[in-house]
Amino acid sequence: MKLFLQTIKYDYLQRTRSYAFLITLCASLAIAYTFVPEPNASYSTIRIADYVGSYNSAWFGYVTAIMTSVFLSLVGFYLVNNGIKTDFNTKVGQIIASTKVSNFKYLLFKTLSNFMVLITIVFCVFLMSILLFFLYNDGTAFSLFQFVKPYVLVTLPALFFIAVLAVVFEVFLMKYSAIQNVLFFFMFSSMMVFVPKTENQHALDVFGTKIVIEQMEESVKLITNSDADEDLSIGYVLGNTKKAKKFDFNGVDFPRVFVLSRLLWILFGFGIITAITPFFKRFSDRESMKFKRVKSVKGEVNEFKEVVIENLSKPKISYSIFPLCKTELLMLFRKGKKWFWIINIIGMVLLVVLPLEMAHQLVLPVLWFLQVNRLSDLVTKETFYNTHYFVFASYKPLQRVLISQLFAGIVLMLFLSLPLMIRYAFESHFMAFTSILLGGVFIVLLASVLGILTQGKKLFEVLFFMIAYANINGIIYADYFGGFQDGVSYLLKLIVCISVFITLIVLVRKRQVVNLA
Amino acid sequence: MQLDVQNISKKYGRDKYGLKDFSITIDKGVLGLLGPNGAGKSTLLKMIATVSKPTHGVILLNKNNILKDANYMRKQLGFLPQDFGVYPNLNAYEFLEYIAAMKGVGGSHLKLRIKQLLDSLNLADVAHKPIGSYSGGMKQRIGIAQALLNDPKLIIFDEPTVGLDPEERVRFRNLVSDLANDSIVILSSHIVSDIDTIADKVAVMKNGSLITNGIQEDIIESVSGKVFEILIDKNDLSTFKDKQIVVSTTRKKGKLKVRYISANPIGNSIAQQANLEDAYLYLTKTN
Ligand SMILES: Nc1ncnc2c1ncn2[C@@H]1O[C@H](COP(=O)(O)OP(=O)(O)OP(=O)(O)O)[C@@H](O)[C@H]1O
Ligand SMILES: [Mg+2]
Repeated sequence: MKLFLQTIKYDYLQRTRSYAFLITLCASLAIAYTFVPEPNASYSTIRIADYVGSYNSAWFGYVTAIMTSVFLSLVGFYLVNNGIKTDFNTKVGQIIASTKVSNFKYLLFKTLSNFMVLITIVFCVFLMSILLFFLYNDGTAFSLFQFVKPYVLVTLPALFFIAVLAVVFEVFLMKYSAIQNVLFFFMFSSMMVFVPKTENQHALDVFGTKIVIEQMEESVKLITNSDADEDLSIGYVLGNTKKAKKFDFNGVDFPRVFVLSRLLWILFGFGIITAITPFFKRFSDRESMKFKRVKSVKGEVNEFKEVVIENLSKPKISYSIFPLCKTELLMLFRKGKKWFWIINIIGMVLLVVLPLEMAHQLVLPVLWFLQVNRLSDLVTKETFYNTHYFVFASYKPLQRVLISQLFAGIVLMLFLSLPLMIRYAFESHFMAFTSILLGGVFIVLLASVLGILTQGKKLFEVLFFMIAYANINGIIYADYFGGFQDGVSYLLKLIVCISVFITLIVLVRKRQVVNLA
Repeated sequence: MQLDVQNISKKYGRDKYGLKDFSITIDKGVLGLLGPNGAGKSTLLKMIATVSKPTHGVILLNKNNILKDANYMRKQLGFLPQDFGVYPNLNAYEFLEYIAAMKGVGGSHLKLRIKQLLDSLNLADVAHKPIGSYSGGMKQRIGIAQALLNDPKLIIFDEPTVGLDPEERVRFRNLVSDLANDSIVILSSHIVSDIDTIADKVAVMKNGSLITNGIQEDIIESVSGKVFEILIDKNDLSTFKDKQIVVSTTRKKGKLKVRYISANPIGNSIAQQANLEDAYLYLTKTN
């Protein structure tokens, strides 16, 4: 048992000391800061018709707890869904495979260490919410219980389940991170739209948020005396001109069935881990997972050959960037499974046949999102594959290698959107045409900026996922490809973003090349 | 062709040095760089190869300061890093073409040169397979080929023989002597036998400092007449080790044959011809 805890401890330390963790933590805190708007802010997060809760302990506790439950389930999955894979890549897995730790124990300790990573963030957000209370409260008394209760009953079980889910995905789909990303995307979306009809059905809501929101609605209905469904808005709604009226929210008296169900979700999680243990093939693959599985090859030694320097043909100096672009493109297109291209092609066909609006607003962002794994390590793969010595010792790496990488990324995105762009060109709709063009550039540069700044790919993956989710839900603030907006000022905004990104990329990379480790 | 390393230091932490006030001048020919793990060999070589910068000091190649003008070095450099990776989805041709482009090498002869290199490094058969499927030794040879793409005048091999089988080691040694005809070749290793047959000069370092530097014979000279062998009882080994510098032990008929270095040998020891390994162990253990 002591050993078991030790193992979790070191796994946890290893993971929380990573840059990706720090970045996600900071981002989570920054976002949590906005969960309960500052009293005069011009946006709302949870608003029922014209009402928001008065700023008391319960409102702060419950609102931040349910927002965290949803938000961290989404983002947290991406933060923790590489625990096993990392063991593969670092070959630690091979060492573990040779010890006597059982498969079940291994998966269990990965789950718990996933959970601990998530809890760490929750705990920081929790402290933040208390801080917010003291900043903005309406002069009500502080009650710690109103904070602890929703976090324990709503947030923690949800995140435990996410920790389990990440392990399940890794066991079955370790080699296919692209599929993991997409599949989780759909699972998350479908879990979000689930609406419990009776009180007992709340037990089926993993996130545990619906019951809280229903209670809030009830409270408002009591005030307005109406039976009609209130106009409920969750999520960031900007520009509330009408000042919200306040209602008193005093927490939820969770029914016993619900409390029990939270416990059952946790047990269910343990059950799942037990059930998938037989499918976990340990680290039997000889190949490190970093690489696609390929047939191993043997070089035949026929005769005693030697390198004779004088006989080698003399190369010429050539600083052409063209061969670099070619290879970067090649690598980009070959990345991942071959059959993944079938999906891309289906997407491109849909861009041709579907009505313009649907193709642009729905298919394009999804098709682009599917490339998330291609884009996320576009400019940082040299660190991952350990080829950075070659890259940084090359001739003018900043100007040549970086540009060819960006070029390749942009070509890929524009190639995928080509059918749509051609359609717009035929209709002489040049605004839309240009915004797609700029959108492709935008997302590639975003990937590069975040990659270069964080030296990792997680932040971009998480962010792109959120953007895509917002795109599907038609939230116009996340529209970077002109699906919902056009006009000169919109294009100008895109251009400004792009310019800022380019400046950042060049400045930071320059520093990195000059101050080599 | 002259490489001048002047008083360079590399700080990794507040008072953690990878290299401390290190100076060496290197001329045409093969320099073998020896030192135990963590001596600072890779730290030094990476700085010469311009992939890392010293905290203090200057590195000059033919009087050009390469810390200011890294491209002067890069144009004539071939570098095999100790711990390098490859892009697994590319095949050997594509990978070498890519590295060539990064080095600024091209022209119509490039394809031919890559083919010749792959051929002579015995990789022609697998050249069209993705590198991800190569064995450790094959990958190492890709690394060697990569270093020779641009007709380098200064070649740095950091632990080049790792993973090479005996036959490939022989081939590599011949390659190095061939290269040394008109270039500087620096190889690092902590295995003396990798170096003693090919290096004209040997530098031994430890804890970030240079212990000695010179032609092999002179270094061996420092222990000549001090190397002995003696048969002892197994149980006496640990007390023996406390008093003498032991180079090696071999089991022999229930007893141990111990090779050791000492100015005043014990009773029935037999004097031995000194070699580079003796000198290396003596130097690293007494410094
Ligand atoms: N990036 C780094 N950060 C901190 N310390 C480092 C770093 N790289 C090397 N060191 C330290 O610098 C010292 C020299 O390391 P270096 O890699 O140069 O040794 P080496 O002689 O190449 O050893 P080996 O034979 O194992 O390759 C070591 O003590 C090592 O711990
Ligand atoms: Mg080294």
